[in-house]
Amino acid sequence: MLKMQQINKIYRTELVETHALREFNLSVNEGEFVTVTGPSGSGKTTFLNIAGLLEEISQGQYFLDGVNVVGLNDKERSRLRNEKIGFIFQSFNLIPDLNLFENVDVPLRYRGFNAKERKRRIEQALEQVGLAARMKHLPAQLSGGQQQRVAIARALAGEPKFLLADEPTGNLDSLMARQVMELLKNINKQGTTIVMVTHDAALARCGQRNIQIVDGQVCDFSLYDKNPQASAFENPQTAASTTTTAASIA
Amino acid sequence: MFNYYLRLAWKSLWATPVVTLLMLIAIALGIGSAMGTLTIYHLMSADPIPEKSAQLFAVQLKSYDNKQSSWGMNDGYPLQITHQDAVNLSHSSVAVKQTPMVRTGFAVQTDNPDIAPILKSVRAANSDFFAMFNAPFAYGSAWDKNSDQQALEVTVIGAKLNQQLFGGGNNVGKILYFDQKAFRIVGILQAWQPTPQYYDVNNGAFRTGEQIFIPFALIASNKYRSWGNNNSYKNEEVNTFDEKLVSESHWIQYWVELKNPQQKNAYQAYLKNYISQQKQLGRFERDDASADLKNVTTWLTYNEVVSEDNNVLVGLSFLLLVVCLVNTVGLLLAKFLRRAPEVGVRRALGASQTQVFLQHLVEVSLLGLTGGLLGILLAQLGLWLLKNNYEQYQLLTDMDITMLLTAPVLAIGSSIIAGLYPAWKICRTQPAVYLKSQ
Ligand SMILES: Nc1ncnc2c1ncn2[C@@H]1O[C@H](COP(=O)(O)OP(=O)(O)O)[C@@H](O)[C@H]1O
Ligand SMILES: [Mg+2]
Repeated sequence: MLKMQQINKIYRTELVETHALREFNLSVNEGEFVTVTGPSGSGKTTFLNIAGLLEEISQGQYFLDGVNVVGLNDKERSRLRNEKIGFIFQSFNLIPDLNLFENVDVPLRYRGFNAKERKRRIEQALEQVGLAARMKHLPAQLSGGQQQRVAIARALAGEPKFLLADEPTGNLDSLMARQVMELLKNINKQGTTIVMVTHDAALARCGQRNIQIVDGQVCDFSLYDKNPQASAFENPQTAASTTTTAASIA
Repeated sequence: MFNYYLRLAWKSLWATPVVTLLMLIAIALGIGSAMGTLTIYHLMSADPIPEKSAQLFAVQLKSYDNKQSSWGMNDGYPLQITHQDAVNLSHSSVAVKQTPMVRTGFAVQTDNPDIAPILKSVRAANSDFFAMFNAPFAYGSAWDKNSDQQALEVTVIGAKLNQQLFGGGNNVGKILYFDQKAFRIVGILQAWQPTPQYYDVNNGAFRTGEQIFIPFALIASNKYRSWGNNNSYKNEEVNTFDEKLVSESHWIQYWVELKNPQQKNAYQAYLKNYISQQKQLGRFERDDASADLKNVTTWLTYNEVVSEDNNVLVGLSFLLLVVCLVNTVGLLLAKFLRRAPEVGVRRALGASQTQVFLQHLVEVSLLGLTGGLLGILLAQLGLWLLKNNYEQYQLLTDMDITMLLTAPVLAIGSSIIAGLYPAWKICRTQPAVYLKSQ
């Protein structure tokens, strides 16, 4: 489903070079629910953005659903992203001017479905997250948990194979967080591959597999497969340690 | 997708009504001033008779005496000629077609006693006038040469007067009373209004033209007075109309049609010859007494029908348009960049850069179209005010089809240019940057 080999990602600003991912290797199989943990600044979001084709890689190979994405142009990447990937963000990122129906409609528009098909999918997706009755509401009229459920509906409406979630419960209280997690688990049961970044050890255990990113590298595979009681943070590899090197000023 | 972009644009413009209003005002002001001045310029500088403008010539004679160092226009030629010269020139047959002319006027009545007499301005000219200036006939034709020579009381009237007096239709053969004299209608023109009215600019190049035409010879026989300029360099007794006819007063316009350079040369030779003849009679005293021929386009420039001020005004108004557009660019840039997070979300959900670019371009075009339409209304309002307050601009007020088509192109074109950079800028933003800031 997802295969990354020897990926390097370097951010260059005027003064510093940040090696956000280094020699990064990861495979995710179809139908898996993988959780990603790691210290702040270790490269989790960078990994998700690369996985979701929002950022280009500096070096390495990335196969998404069998397609080599290195060298694809913006149009091809956007198409792939639209068809295969659903995004869920920590801060929901609903478009405030659009009501729920229109928010869920966004990815379907870019897919090019006709009006009838879009309506069917939107209603079905909102049904699935239990918000079908509030289609005409604006995001601001909903609670955080509800907003995140709309974001999930939006990610699901295009029926992507692959759901990428960056701390989806980070802005939610624990009750709402549980509801969202239940939803994600259900979605995974129906066959969608999920990669979820979280810093909550308890939530990290919800997945089938947890990986830890430290300093831009995958640190530990299959932690919970072997030892379901362990937590990523019980023996932390302390300190966010992205190396920054002073770049020579030409 | 276009409909979707249009809906998003509509929402977006309404989401920030104040900014939208500011941008609309900026675009409307810029377009309005540019369109207004451009319309005036376009109509003023139009060639009123492109098919013949190089073959029609105004005749000027430097006939004044040595007491003046120079008289008339800057080049030393008066705009008009004397009545006696006009009569003399019209006896020659060197020019293919020719006409002396002058604007006069009188009270007009019909047989219908219900219609009160109306005071009308009138053009006295020779029968060649209509063929020379391509005046199109709806009914009948020009009067014949005999009427020119015999000073017969015949008339050609314009479509507008025909409508006003008779409610339209073929009224050739009917009688009109001009200062109580009976004139027979021999021809009725179609609607005809050369703009500028080049053949008589000293009465205002942008006034509506005369609706009544009569043989020039009637000026002398019926003692019709000029309703235009009369200029004289000479201190001479002019008490009676007959004295005026033989005076050195300049009040007649003279036009000839010369189809090619040979004809022009021949006519110039003829004029030279005419001047030396007149010298023997004691007129045209000056050593540099001479004649000049100016074709229609030269004539319009010479008379400053399009004034220098006007060019400056067009330049300034386009400068204003640029200033307004630069402001709009600034506002658009601020507005679009504030929407970067939303664009980031759209990109994450599968929008390509091109799609983001197009979405914003549609928004800009919608804005430009609306602003442009407002601008056209503004320009129309300005022109309407001009029309109603200044008689000499009566003909300038109506945008012709070229201008009406230019306006929206200019409006949308310039707003797209204004919007290109902001739209490009926003589509190039890295989506990840905005999604990461959490
Ligand atoms: N656009 C960027 N430009 C420069 N440096 C960046 C950019 N995005 C991330 N980084 C750096 O890359 C490293 C990894 O960031 P990130 O992937 O956001 O970490 P995490 O999500 O694990 O907290 C950090 O040191 C961060 O400062
Ligand atoms: Mg992060």
